[in-house]
Amino acid sequence: MNIPNVTHYIHAYKVAPWRIQRQWIGSALLAVVALAMVATLYLIVTSRAAIAGREIQDLTYSIASSQQVSGDLQTQLASLTSARAMERRALELGFRPVEPDEVEYLVVPGYAEPEPFVLTTTPNLQLSALTIAPEYNQSLLDWMDEKISSTRGMQ
Amino acid sequence: MRQQYARRTQVLTSVLGLIAFAIIVQMTRIQNSAEAAVFSQQAQNYAYELKTFYPDRGEIYDRNGRLLAGNKTVYEVGVDLNTVKDPHAIAFAVSTELGMDYNQILGVIQNPPEGLSYIVIADFVEAQQALNLQELKKALQDQAAEGTFGGLTGLQFKSHPQRSYPEDALASNVIGFVSREGRGYFGIEGKYDTLLAGNAVQVLVPTDPNKAFEIPRVSNGTTLILTINRDLQAAAEEILDEALSTYGSPAGTIVVMDPRNGELLAVAASRRMDLNEFWNYSTIFDESSDFNPAISKPYEPGSVTKILTMAAALDSATVNPNTTYLDTGSILIGGVTVQNWDQQPWGVQNMVGCLQHSLNVCMVTIASQMGAGSFYDYMDAFGFGHLTGVDLEGETTGRLKVPGDSDWYPVDLGTNAFGQGVTATPLQVMMAVSSIANNGRMVVPHALYAMMRDGRQYNVPAQFAGSPVTEATADTLSEMLAISLEAEASLALVPGYRVAGKTGTAQIPVDGFYDTTRTNTSFIGWGPVDDPQFMIYVWLEQPSESIWGAETAAPVFAEMAEKTVILLDIPPDYIRQQLVAK
Repeated sequence: MNIPNVTHYIHAYKVAPWRIQRQWIGSALLAVVALAMVATLYLIVTSRAAIAGREIQDLTYSIASSQQVSGDLQTQLASLTSARAMERRALELGFRPVEPDEVEYLVVPGYAEPEPFVLTTTPNLQLSALTIAPEYNQSLLDWMDEKISSTRGMQ
Repeated sequence: MRQQYARRTQVLTSVLGLIAFAIIVQMTRIQNSAEAAVFSQQAQNYAYELKTFYPDRGEIYDRNGRLLAGNKTVYEVGVDLNTVKDPHAIAFAVSTELGMDYNQILGVIQNPPEGLSYIVIADFVEAQQALNLQELKKALQDQAAEGTFGGLTGLQFKSHPQRSYPEDALASNVIGFVSREGRGYFGIEGKYDTLLAGNAVQVLVPTDPNKAFEIPRVSNGTTLILTINRDLQAAAEEILDEALSTYGSPAGTIVVMDPRNGELLAVAASRRMDLNEFWNYSTIFDESSDFNPAISKPYEPGSVTKILTMAAALDSATVNPNTTYLDTGSILIGGVTVQNWDQQPWGVQNMVGCLQHSLNVCMVTIASQMGAGSFYDYMDAFGFGHLTGVDLEGETTGRLKVPGDSDWYPVDLGTNAFGQGVTATPLQVMMAVSSIANNGRMVVPHALYAMMRDGRQYNVPAQFAGSPVTEATADTLSEMLAISLEAEASLALVPGYRVAGKTGTAQIPVDGFYDTTRTNTSFIGWGPVDDPQFMIYVWLEQPSESIWGAETAAPVFAEMAEKTVILLDIPPDYIRQQLVAK
């Protein structure tokens, strides 16, 4: 056994306090870097979540606005094609109401009588209600609070 | 030296550590202090605001998908008093664009009610007018010097929906209207107000701009599809207006119904209003019953109810079509002498002649033979004295006096038999007579064809209100009425189509006595007799050209029926029978 060599090495390390300091400093710096990374990630996620939330709101308002415009146009179209307006336009174009003895009825094989108006023939195609995932409106602290609360609840 | 540095470092570290510790202690103390709870509560109070999302009111369509009632965007124009820069400019712009009083607007802006920071200048402003003001505001802002505000700063616009009726006054009596508070009145708007309005949703919205919130999905009000045919409705209103002018009648009603299922195809009244200007209601209508007389204005219908008396007599086997009697021109009942319309004797008549000549003596005779008990049982089964149950707001019931009532006298049996002394609305008479046109089954009239909610359409099934008479009675009476019209060469006949029906000329009671100079004339008819597809009721109030239903209401029925068969694509009888034969 080469005992003197081992003792030498142990002694060498023991008498080098700067190595211990460097380890402490390194550990501290590592913790700081880790914290900084978490903080950065938190900021990025939070800001992205906020932006996404705002975009959802904008899109929702946009949908509502489009529906409003669509309703306005529909009403406008109905006014332009109202019974009175259509009659006036027909008269201007030289048409006149048909007299009973002028009507000719033809037998058309396969002709089906017009059915009353049907607005929809399909089953409910309405998408399920929009749901924003918690990731988009929950902060890190909210998330931690929720987890702690749920853990307490389980206990 | 080195030790000195080490000591200084230790002291500094201790001081900084103490400060850090003190900060942590203070933070903990503040977080757990009594004030912390108050501040926390205050923060929570302002963290959310309660916001209400209102659904759009459901639309109303006719049976062919024509929009009868929709929504349009209008604006509330207001002023944020905290940001106003030039009240004169706002007053001038708004008064010019909206035609309002300049001084009034200026006064409101300069001397607002105490405690208000926002005041409404005008509401329900048309979109184009609001757009003009918005563009003017933007132009003034663009022209303003850098760092200053435009003249219309503080003028604000808030959009919201408003009910709109593209057909203006068409079918107004059926549709009803919606007030600015969003409440439906009369007709469909009143009857289905809750369905059309939908349910508002309230949510807590975070005030923190970084917190996204979920805008709730607010289902719009239920959309309704009516049984009304827009083109037939327009034709009915036009024909009614012409009839009022031709026969000098101050008011009238035409109703077209499908007797097979009770679907109301057209309901025309002489007084109509542009539903977009509902505030004119009180100037157009004297009473609420004038809004839709077909359901809310009972009157003594006269001889049209002879159909029901004859139906009761046939069904109870009191008479058959060939039963004869001797008409002497008058008959005594309950101590009162009842005469025919012409006060003349008509000799021996059978039941077809009785209907053809509309003989009061005949009706009194057969009602007497039936007896009051049986007669009133049938009238009750026909729905007289009851509501029809039509799905329109404002229906009222007529009055059928029955034995046992304090004001019923034996003579009432006789007069009720030919439609005097009893009141009913046109729709009540139609519902009763539908049993004759529909093989004995009485239909409940209705105006709603279907409703649509959340992408699903629910069709409203036909409802029946019993069978007051048998199918055989109904068929026999239909034939008798058709023959009586043909034998009389009635003005109600429709070339190419066999129709059945009956005129009515009713005297008008005034202060307990009948006015001998004024009448209400009516006609109820249906066709084609072998396959009834339409039933038309015409009521002209007090026509001045003629007091007789045969000369006023009957030709109006024919005109309406001719229009109806064209618009409903009902071919003449001979073509239809060819088709059936094939």
